[in-house]
Amino acid sequence: MSDIQQELRKTARELLESGEVGYIIGWGKGRFANQTHPIFVKDPAKVDELVWDDYCLSTLAKYTQDDKYPEKKIGICVRGCDSRAVNRLIQDHQLKREDVYLIGIPCSGKLDPETNEPAKKCVECAHRNPVVYDVLLGSPVEEVPQPERFKEVEELEAMTPDERYNYWADVYDKCIRCYACRNVCPACNCRECYTDQYRVGWQGKQNNRAENQIFGITRAYHVGDRCIECGECQRVCPMGLPLMKLNRKMLKDINNLFGAYEAGLDTETKPALGHYETNDVEEFM
Amino acid sequence: MKLSKSKVNQALDMLAKEATVLVPMIVDGVSKFAPWGTEGKLALDIVNTLLPPKDALFPQTEKMYKYKVSAETAEVKEITDSDKQVVFGLRSCDMHSIDCMDAVFLTKGYVDNFYSRKRENLTTIAINCTKSNPTCFCDSMGVDPNNAASADMQLIDIGDAYVVEARTEKGKAVEALWQPLLEAGEGTATPISCELKLDMAGLPAKLRGMFESDIWDDGYQACIGCGTCTYICPTCYCFDINAENHGQEGVQFRCWDSCMFSEYTRMAGGHNPRPSKKERLRNRFMHKLAYFDERYNKNLCAGCGRCVVNCPVNIDITRFIEKVKEVPVNG
Amino acid sequence: MSVDVEKKNVDPNWEPKILSFSCNWCTYAGADLAGLNRMKYPENVRVIRVPCSGRVNPQFVLRAFQKGSDGVLVCGCHPGDCHYVTGNYFTRRRFLLMQRFLEYNGIDPRRFQARWISGAEAGKFRDTVTKVSNDIKALGPNKKFQESWYKERGESNE
Repeated sequence: MSDIQQELRKTARELLESGEVGYIIGWGKGRFANQTHPIFVKDPAKVDELVWDDYCLSTLAKYTQDDKYPEKKIGICVRGCDSRAVNRLIQDHQLKREDVYLIGIPCSGKLDPETNEPAKKCVECAHRNPVVYDVLLGSPVEEVPQPERFKEVEELEAMTPDERYNYWADVYDKCIRCYACRNVCPACNCRECYTDQYRVGWQGKQNNRAENQIFGITRAYHVGDRCIECGECQRVCPMGLPLMKLNRKMLKDINNLFGAYEAGLDTETKPALGHYETNDVEEFM
Repeated sequence: MKLSKSKVNQALDMLAKEATVLVPMIVDGVSKFAPWGTEGKLALDIVNTLLPPKDALFPQTEKMYKYKVSAETAEVKEITDSDKQVVFGLRSCDMHSIDCMDAVFLTKGYVDNFYSRKRENLTTIAINCTKSNPTCFCDSMGVDPNNAASADMQLIDIGDAYVVEARTEKGKAVEALWQPLLEAGEGTATPISCELKLDMAGLPAKLRGMFESDIWDDGYQACIGCGTCTYICPTCYCFDINAENHGQEGVQFRCWDSCMFSEYTRMAGGHNPRPSKKERLRNRFMHKLAYFDERYNKNLCAGCGRCVVNCPVNIDITRFIEKVKEVPVNG
Repeated sequence: MSVDVEKKNVDPNWEPKILSFSCNWCTYAGADLAGLNRMKYPENVRVIRVPCSGRVNPQFVLRAFQKGSDGVLVCGCHPGDCHYVTGNYFTRRRFLLMQRFLEYNGIDPRRFQARWISGAEAGKFRDTVTKVSNDIKALGPNKKFQESWYKERGESNE
């Protein structure tokens, strides 16, 4: 792992010194050993702040949305999840491929800082190697197939409607509406979120079950066909809500109804709700 | 007098007959102050709950007025219901946060009725800390983890029992209620201090001169602009007022708001004086460490470490404080 | 958490509130034709005219349940007949998923239906809303997703 860190710093220094990129988005160390945070390195002298260790959990691609018209390319460290997020944003026309320089890093999973066990989102990861990059550090790691991708969803589907309603109502009751799930999500890239347009009346600002239900369902539905399954929403949720069970339900139905689908693997496959086939499943006749 | 730890449940049962008793509990995986009787696990041994007790006084959503319009009249009714509440087992940092909210909602010439009604009906029972988390830094913020001076009652953990120290009339009433459970006895706890130390001397004054400093140009980029830090913060007290309208009638309510949201400072017409995360983060840190000190002479940060642990991208106020210290004066 | 009992204590005179989003170019005309032909259909269906079934945002559906609807019906042109050529193809995908997603969240799929009804199909409109109305009568009032305002005030609240 430290070899990759060395290589990363070397690559970063070269890119910054040559002026190929304006800055590099990577991970830096926090106060405690189990903390990292995204850092933005401009100065070649500071590349040693970049780290690659067991706690580099944050996905980085979303940060390109803060700098939509960069003077120079933005260098981004991309693992499988970050690279799919980049594809996602390119496909949504929120990012231009030529505006980013992707430093690919194969990733064999990170640790949960609380438990030091493999992080849930990484255990469930099906694409550990970046799917798009300009340079690859180290050699590709073996992919882990995920036959149980929809297991949690199926468990819920086996319940009665009332049980399911109560399960989700309990989840939404816990939500504090901090919007971390929305803000971290690379599929959530509306210029202004509907929740912030509260004068329009989509969403009340009060925290109660009905409003939280509306937020929870709408968030999941909005990202439904574009979710890259990075699991960041669930990781950042301070209340530990099982948000991926919502996202994966959408993906499961998309797979069943419209064929095998994974978002962000390339920029050509259209998202399920962004196109149609004239011979789609018909249930409304 | 002391209260044996084996009698804590009884003591809480007694209190619960007269008031809603909020105790640190783990409910469905989340540690928070929940009403005694809620299904969950009493957690007096954890240093800090994830959710602070501030919503006992300042609920996330609080109904303020009901209104009704008919032909030519309009009726507005203030919602004044406020039950007796006891917060049991809060730490010094959380007590400090209640002191901060008291300063905001009750002093400087304006009394917030909604808050003051709740505050009058609230009894605070603090417990000293016997250990600290690595992320605790309350003693650097002027808070004593061994003693919450302004609590109505302080419990001092002496191993198998709590020494009971009633400090106010409300505290004495609780002591009287518990009389059948109390035993004679005194004791002291070994004082603890936080490992994480920050030098706050002169920092608020220094920060006040640093509004335009380039210190703000670095570090904000990682912020994702969510409200986690403010919503789990025991001292953050910003709110928005809004109405839930149903035709000719409705309810006016207030709800927590967060200075980290873009919409927080957006004005009618669309102008936003804090257009980016940089200005928002600056405001949060300045409010915590400089502005509040200027107005109320204390830190709005209680040093509980909740935001340090729970920020999704590890933005760390303690590292920021150290960074400010390093900046040369007039720099 | 308490289960919202749907069928207990239902007033025998209770009538469901059903919201029907109907496309201007087909179903709305079909409903009009049903009226011209003096066809009888349940009066508990409220029709909202939309320019295309593709206009119906899934949030409209959620909001309808939140504000007290017992059932929601989305009606549009037959596939291939869309006035805007492709609108209803998107509608189809959108609500195939929405119906399943609502079911996953505990809403009975009969409470949320979509149908293709042309401007000539007055009979189909009548039959559809009658069936939906009967289904929802059998299911009872919906309390799921409802704002507490409506729950607290019960049936008197229109």
